[in-house]
Amino acid sequence: MNPPVPPEIGSHVIPLMAALMLVVQMLLIAQRMLLTSIRLFAIQSLLLAGIAAVVAYYYNASHVYVVAVLTFIGKVVFLPWLLNRLVHRIQIHQETDPLLNAPSSMLVCGALTLLGYSVTRPFTSLEKLGSNTLAIALALLLTGFFLMINRRKALTQVLALLTVENGVMLAAVALTTYGMPLVVELGIFFDVLVAVMVLGILVYRIRENFASMDTGKLDQLKG
Amino acid sequence: MNFDPLTFLGQTLALLLLAPLLSGCIKNWKAKLQNRRGPRPWQVYFDIAKFLRKDMVISEHASWIFSLAPYVVFLTALLAGLMVPMISAPAPLRLFGGVLAVIGLLALGRFFLALSGLDPASAFGGMGSSREMTISAIAEPAMMLAIFTVAITAGSTDLSQIAQSTQSATWKLLNPAHVLAFAAMFVVLLAETGRIPVDNPATHLELTMIHEAMLLEYSGRYLAFMEWGAAIKQLVLMTLLVNVFFPVGLAGPQASAAALGISLVAYLVKLLALSAVVVIVETTNAKMRLFRVPDLLSTAFVLAALAMLSTFLFG
Repeated sequence: MNPPVPPEIGSHVIPLMAALMLVVQMLLIAQRMLLTSIRLFAIQSLLLAGIAAVVAYYYNASHVYVVAVLTFIGKVVFLPWLLNRLVHRIQIHQETDPLLNAPSSMLVCGALTLLGYSVTRPFTSLEKLGSNTLAIALALLLTGFFLMINRRKALTQVLALLTVENGVMLAAVALTTYGMPLVVELGIFFDVLVAVMVLGILVYRIRENFASMDTGKLDQLKG
Repeated sequence: MNFDPLTFLGQTLALLLLAPLLSGCIKNWKAKLQNRRGPRPWQVYFDIAKFLRKDMVISEHASWIFSLAPYVVFLTALLAGLMVPMISAPAPLRLFGGVLAVIGLLALGRFFLALSGLDPASAFGGMGSSREMTISAIAEPAMMLAIFTVAITAGSTDLSQIAQSTQSATWKLLNPAHVLAFAAMFVVLLAETGRIPVDNPATHLELTMIHEAMLLEYSGRYLAFMEWGAAIKQLVLMTLLVNVFFPVGLAGPQASAAALGISLVAYLVKLLALSAVVVIVETTNAKMRLFRVPDLLSTAFVLAALAMLSTFLFG
């Protein structure tokens, strides 16, 4: 067995990595190149896997290790690879202008994060893993939804969905339960995996049929 | 607390001599990363010495502001540098002012720099000035918010006290608020020193230049002071970043010679590490379109605002 480590270090590392996840999310909102966005998502997932591993190590919750490994394999290696291949196949590398320009969407996301912080404020005493991890999880969720609404390309919307899922996972890991039951986690994980693969095919078909993956064009589909 | 002429002199000399060397190092490393041989690190000294010897050509439209600006830019950077703790924690001019004075002095220097770009009535200069002001309008609030975040944690706007209080609590380094503030400050550093995603420091012949456009009409002694002042400003900002966020090894008041030596070595190592990061960022990124720069800076601003927020909510 490992020597006992003061859990104080764990409760410092976890909010730190959660804050880095938020930083990556902000960069993702300002980023327009699809390949860089995918790489940023991979970094965010790597941080999530790191948080899960730290939680598992310091709180002796061995089933969280499974979450860490699954997150690493699925979201750091497999999904970015899949999306990268998709980008190369459909030959679109850049997002067109989003509905709101970058500075104002940054401000909106700052406001959403503020909302996340203020909503989770009453719950801070429940958490044992640092003070603001739950707030950051909620902020990831809200800004992920905003990203999904704001962008036009189907691929970025898929990425936004994945960051929302990262937020949910972070909330699950960061709450006092040290993660949900393993069955639920496996369920969510494969759900997301299959969803992204199906969405990938869908994106490819959209691109094939309309010579664009701008989802705004889909409402003109008539007759 | 007393005014110590020895540290005052020491830090002035260090600022004057280290600043060109640091610019030279960054230039040299950048060239190495791009498979060029590059200028030697101490080339900047020779450049400044050469400019100081040369005659000046001054536009006939230029007024007295044009001749005043180089001294203002140079002296404000130097004074701001004397308020930032470099090697020993109480900075020489700490009684004179803290963070606000540093930011104010740098802003004064920038104001005169922009005026001097407008003064000789050249088209390029005016363009450079307007761009500089556009960028600093977003970069400056981000920098203030980021430093204030640290100031709130330390309970003082005195930079020496900030450095000392962050030093005592080791884990404060990993405070999420500080991470956000550091990310914001780093982007501001790139913008304020005219580094690549924002401005290209290696060009005189581009329509997109910002800092160089303002210096275009300068020559001889004035140019030397302008370049030297820019190098000192860069050193001051990097020192601020390094010593406020990572004050490892910073010597306290009444430190022994050995502690000062360790502090000097630690300071140089941190400075070179930060320069290496800047070099990597400059080499791996392309320059942004001017209209895209506010996107980057607004990211920095929001990060700094979030940093501030999280210190208030979870102090």
